[in-house]
Amino acid sequence: MGIERFRRACVALLSASIVSLGMQAPAVAGVVGTAEAIAARQDDGARALVDATLARADVRAQLEGMGVDPTAIEGRLDALSEAEIAALAGQIEQAPAGGDALAVIGIVFVVLIILELVGVIDIFKKT
Amino acid sequence: MIRGAPVIATLAVALTGCASSPPLADGLPASAPRVIELVATPFFPQEDYQCGPAALATLLVASGVEVSPADLAPEVYLPERRGSLSLELIGAARRHGRLPYVLATTADEMVEELAAGRPVLVLQNLRVSQLPRWHYAVLIGYDAERNVAVLRSGRERRLEMKWQRFAGSWHRGGRFALTTLRPGDIPGHAEPARFIAAAAGLEAAGQRRAAAAAFDAAIARWPNEPHAWLGRGNVAYADGDRAAAADAWSRAVMLDPHDAAARNNLAELLLEAGCLDESRRQIERASALAAGTSLESTVSESRSKIDATARAAARCQLEDRAWPD
Repeated sequence: MGIERFRRACVALLSASIVSLGMQAPAVAGVVGTAEAIAARQDDGARALVDATLARADVRAQLEGMGVDPTAIEGRLDALSEAEIAALAGQIEQAPAGGDALAVIGIVFVVLIILELVGVIDIFKKT
Repeated sequence: MIRGAPVIATLAVALTGCASSPPLADGLPASAPRVIELVATPFFPQEDYQCGPAALATLLVASGVEVSPADLAPEVYLPERRGSLSLELIGAARRHGRLPYVLATTADEMVEELAAGRPVLVLQNLRVSQLPRWHYAVLIGYDAERNVAVLRSGRERRLEMKWQRFAGSWHRGGRFALTTLRPGDIPGHAEPARFIAAAAGLEAAGQRRAAAAAFDAAIARWPNEPHAWLGRGNVAYADGDRAAAADAWSRAVMLDPHDAAARNNLAELLLEAGCLDESRRQIERASALAAGTSLESTVSESRSKIDATARAAARCQLEDRAWPD
């Protein structure tokens, strides 16, 4: 079982290094990204930005809590700017999450059933 | 007063939403076609709750990316919410090398995008505001004579909705509309700030080639936009092309001498090139400009680094010895 333990240790080390790679927010140290430059010049630029590393950790935890595959999370976060991640941190629970068109039929159906049962309408033919 | 402005704006939008939307023909610009339908737009019937991946795949494939909803689901789907957030659709579009461009909150830009041959992803609220049912669909056309919107939606390949019903659902969905552009394309109606911010998103996502094409296109169209030059410099620098980065960042500083970011980046480059005096001059200006903004800590780190290098260079490392005449 020595090989299995070694394999596990390797996997753990590799995942740890991947995670820590993801922690380094800007691609090039010291250089300000255009997205951050734009955020700084906007009206609320004066307000201190939420710590980028904290916001990222926060969103990572929230995505995992929402059932997202942990191995997919870094890739998803890497596609967003710091300002976008900070915005996401506050809205994962409430922001509109487009899902399904089908349930709209459901609620109409429920209303029809209620109206039918109460006797307001009579569209469901009884034999 | 400034704090109240968004509230008033929201209220205004909410109030206009109460008035019934006009028929399509009333709001259609005279130059716009009366009937459009992008019939070649692909169709991906959605699986349960997977309208986000399906709608995004529709847009991406229409813009030349080989991708399926199944590929996109792990990039955008939130199992617990049974849906996808628009910000994550934007991120996923970037990962596939396309520039996600969020349209204005009026229908005009949607019409212009359709006229340019690009389908439009829309967020609809199919119920009432208090009991929302969010849904992504793709607008592929309209018919002003018959007053209908034509959509790829859910499991329907071709869904016609009365224009007012469509516009109402889009309004209740927060008027989110998105197109995915091939790198280098700029819509005729694009505003410089919004387009450059979209290109900056590609840069942040590490899509350097696509970002470079987008910044080049922005510079060709708006040569005096400092952030287009800043972005072009950033991408060149990340690619290791320091000469191009130096030119672009200098241009950004000349166009906007008050931009701390461009001066900071220029100072970093000058430091690497061994031009210490110039580097210090730029970082001092940057540091004064960044005070009190979100860039303050980044710029102050650059400054400490540059100052330390300058001190090390100035100090004689062998000062405890005696040297011959």
